Amino acid sequence: MDWERLSQLVEELTTSGHPQLNQDKVKELKKICKASNDCIDHVYHSVMSQLNQEHAEIRLSAFQIASDLFSRSHHFRTLLVDNFQEFLELTVETDSEQPLPPPKEVARKLRSLAVQTVQSWHTSYGSAYKKLELGYHFLKQVKKVDFQDAEARTVTERRREEERQRKMERIYKARVEAATKEMEESYQDIEAALTEMESCMKLLFPEFGLAGSPADNSGPSDGQPDKGCQADDDEPCCKERKEDEEGRTKSDEEDSFIRNSGLISHTYSLDVSLSPGGSVLHVKETEDNEPVVSTMMELHRVISSKHLPAVQGWVQVRPTHTHTRPSPHTHSIHNSQAVFLGLLMKSLEAALQKHRELHIDCKTRATSDGEEDDDNDEFEEVPEKEGYEPHIPEHLRAEYGQRPPAPPLPSSSSSSSRRMRRLLEDEQDPTSAAATLRVLRQQIPLPESSSTTGPDPSQQNAAEAPVVPFGLDLYYWGQEQPNAGKILKSASQHQFWVPAEVEEEVENQDLLAQSKSRYISFPGNFVPVSHSCRAPLGNGTLCQRQDRVKCPFHGLIVPRDQEGRPCREEDRQREEQEERRKREQQPDWRDVDLMRDIEAATGEDLGSSRVGGKNRKGKKKKYPNLSDLKQSSNTSRSRLERKVFNKYDSSALANKADRRKHDKFSNQFNYALN
Amino acid sequence: MLGFLSARQAGVDDPLRLRRAESTRRVLSLKLNPDRDVDRIHGNGINTIDIDAIEGRYMLSGGADGVIVIYDLENHSGKQQYTCRPVRTVGRSSRHVHKFSVETVQWYPYDTGMFVSSSFDKTMKVWDTETLKPAEAFEFEGNVYSHHLSPIARKHSLIAVGTKNPKIQLCDLKSGSRIHVLQGHRAEVLAVRWSPRYENILATASADSKVNIWDVRRASGSLFTLDQHNGEKSKASSQAENTAHNGRVNGLCFTSDGLYLLTTGTDDRMRLWNSATGANTLVNYGKVCNESRKRLQFSVSHGCSPEFVFVPCGSSVAVYALHTGELITMLRGHYNNVDCCEFHPDYQELYSGGKDGNLLAWVPVVRTADVEEEPNGENKVAASLSAVNPAFQDNWSSDED
Repeated sequence: MDWERLSQLVEELTTSGHPQLNQDKVKELKKICKASNDCIDHVYHSVMSQLNQEHAEIRLSAFQIASDLFSRSHHFRTLLVDNFQEFLELTVETDSEQPLPPPKEVARKLRSLAVQTVQSWHTSYGSAYKKLELGYHFLKQVKKVDFQDAEARTVTERRREEERQRKMERIYKARVEAATKEMEESYQDIEAALTEMESCMKLLFPEFGLAGSPADNSGPSDGQPDKGCQADDDEPCCKERKEDEEGRTKSDEEDSFIRNSGLISHTYSLDVSLSPGGSVLHVKETEDNEPVVSTMMELHRVISSKHLPAVQGWVQVRPTHTHTRPSPHTHSIHNSQAVFLGLLMKSLEAALQKHRELHIDCKTRATSDGEEDDDNDEFEEVPEKEGYEPHIPEHLRAEYGQRPPAPPLPSSSSSSSRRMRRLLEDEQDPTSAAATLRVLRQQIPLPESSSTTGPDPSQQNAAEAPVVPFGLDLYYWGQEQPNAGKILKSASQHQFWVPAEVEEEVENQDLLAQSKSRYISFPGNFVPVSHSCRAPLGNGTLCQRQDRVKCPFHGLIVPRDQEGRPCREEDRQREEQEERRKREQQPDWRDVDLMRDIEAATGEDLGSSRVGGKNRKGKKKKYPNLSDLKQSSNTSRSRLERKVFNKYDSSALANKADRRKHDKFSNQFNYALN
Repeated sequence: MLGFLSARQAGVDDPLRLRRAESTRRVLSLKLNPDRDVDRIHGNGINTIDIDAIEGRYMLSGGADGVIVIYDLENHSGKQQYTCRPVRTVGRSSRHVHKFSVETVQWYPYDTGMFVSSSFDKTMKVWDTETLKPAEAFEFEGNVYSHHLSPIARKHSLIAVGTKNPKIQLCDLKSGSRIHVLQGHRAEVLAVRWSPRYENILATASADSKVNIWDVRRASGSLFTLDQHNGEKSKASSQAENTAHNGRVNGLCFTSDGLYLLTTGTDDRMRLWNSATGANTLVNYGKVCNESRKRLQFSVSHGCSPEFVFVPCGSSVAVYALHTGELITMLRGHYNNVDCCEFHPDYQELYSGGKDGNLLAWVPVVRTADVEEEPNGENKVAASLSAVNPAFQDNWSSDED
């Protein structure tokens, strides 16, 4: 009984498929083994037979059992050491003709574990067991296993690895050299671009330094939370900023007053806006700063599309490379390079970031008519329309549900008069958007109708109406056609051949009808199916097929609940009935279990495997925990191989080709010869 | 044992009987013993070993790296544990070392002052043991597979040399020249052996599956060719010639009395022949794994009552009873193919060398004192054993209970 239990335990342990043994079972095993040497004999034999299995997971577990017992029992040690050659062959792969079985990762693990274990055995038991010592020396001196090497690789493996590394290093070196060269070449460009960008920014926004230190400016702090990167932006804004502030802080009467009195003119070319959100600088392009802005745009484009990717590429080349170079000298060089590259990249990114923060209004050139004023938050939100018309006739405004043609000033605002004045002032300034807008208003003619109006019902109908090809019937629609449907047969013009009298004019009712009526086939629009079949499947999920009416597998599509049961009672009944019928159709002698029993008794194949394929699947696999070795072979490549290298197919093909050749050319002796 | 002793005391028995019985017992108890080690000198496989016949004290070994080592086998320390030390070595640094693998080494049968080695570098060298310089070197056209000096010859000092050339060369130590050629084989000669009974009788084994027996006084041809079918042509009518094996014959060994000859071949067979008549004794040894392309050195025990054959078989050494063909035991200890083994007739020890570079000594287990039947005698033995070495103790942890 003990022995049976032992075999069972060993089998369970080895076929668990886990990288670690189940400690409870191991304990039980040891407990039984402790009883007598006979038990150990038995365990030893079962472990060895498991070690012989062609599956790395089984071997790994068996090896773990063996190493557990090895440290415990002298008898087990003697047995194992007596057969140490075989043991090494099965675990350390000493015989190259007997490679470790798949799966590969487990085999590798088994190998390294075995090598480590043999080493530890050698240190603790080597002096007492001679063959163990011999085996250790064999591994060390003949197989050249490096016990220090964590991977426990043999010489050839190591050499291969080195070769590969050398190759990679060569590639990296070439790549780094190319990058360095490129870097040297384009460094000047990048530097120039950066400097240019910086000076552009300085021009646009005095003291908006790229490398400005975050200076905390408490003076004009307007209760705006400054982001870290913008802390330095506070300083330069001084007056312009103040000027602009009024736009956002509507109620701040005193502020605007200061601004009013403090400013010389609104026709100041640069308009920097800070939104109340407090994080956006706004630079607007005007005629004055246009060249600067355009240069800046150009620079931005160059930096973001060319320089930054290049620098990023160099940075990427470097880290993969450095660790393969052991020499400290080269290392330091490359380190300095790395630091330099990092700085370069940082400055490039900083430049881009500043550019982003500036929010240069580059669009103004192209779409300056799109903005009536920079204070557009004064307007109520108007939904985006295609075909925005800048001018709405006054008499139509009411009809369109819009406000009276007041200039964009909220009447509620207390500072409306000031605003009005300012707007007028703006309009006088030819560079301001307001002025452009005014010019546009005058230039663009008034359109006939507007699509911005609310949807007109008739128009809506028209939009939905189908478009049909134009025909003659439409041309004469509603008119009586004099000779519709008449076919004229011309009399023969021949001189002496005269055909029998024919009616010259034939009236064809069909043609007549055709010219008076019109068939319009209107299939409607395609509406994609949004529901799915949702019938319960064998694997617990729901059928995902999206058929319109009927699923080819589950019949009519009916509404179903979460579990896939039909919602309606009659559907449910119908389905149950169907199920019952299906079950009845299968005669009970085709019951899978019964058939299998009969098959086992008679030895004849009744086809139980075909009938109950689904049910048998689980049973067929003896050890479900072990990874399936055959599964890995089921790749697209192997499947293709099966097809392409199919012996029958290829030979048939060759025969066919031969026969065709023979049929065609057999009468020509030079072809017939071969 | 006691019976033999008392019979010996009473003089009823031949002294030889006790000796035979004891040596047989010792051979049967051969085991890989931790008490006996041989220093590891060879970095590569060991192809050949030879124990001198005079004192039985020095052992020559030739390795695949061309190195030749002389070991001292005698244990003078008085302790059980003994490691055989190399006394002299022809190492790689020596000027005279063989360039390629040494295939055969042999002591001069009458004196340990001289030994002969042959190698795949197409030379055979006669060495002076004192100076470790070659006194004579013979050069051949092909690789030298094997050579042999007659162990009993008094009237000649010929070395038979088997090379890649099918002709067997006879070199005379007296003149230092090749004096004779024996023709008869058609493929390379893998093994040559002088009979230990008649000084002019020579056996040669070749890759053409033939074993020829020569009398070197007769130059015209071989005395006879061993035939595995004993002349029953009906069985092998297709074969025109007598063959000893169905593959290459790569091992030859006379029994110590010279009456029988053993051959091994790559057909995984070993055959025992009557050396006088050339008849196949048809002893069935079963399968003796043998895939060596070179010479296989095996040996026969001496002075046991059924004689034993020690023959390399894969990575182990098989021990057969000579005349019954019964497999006695397999000595497993090498981790790669075993190439050579040599029996020490004085101490009933076996030395074996293999491709794994190990030289293993198989030593009879010392008989433990017969313990009188005591209630727990077993435990005492175990206790004494574990007292010797803590590694023999069982180490069950208490949590398994």
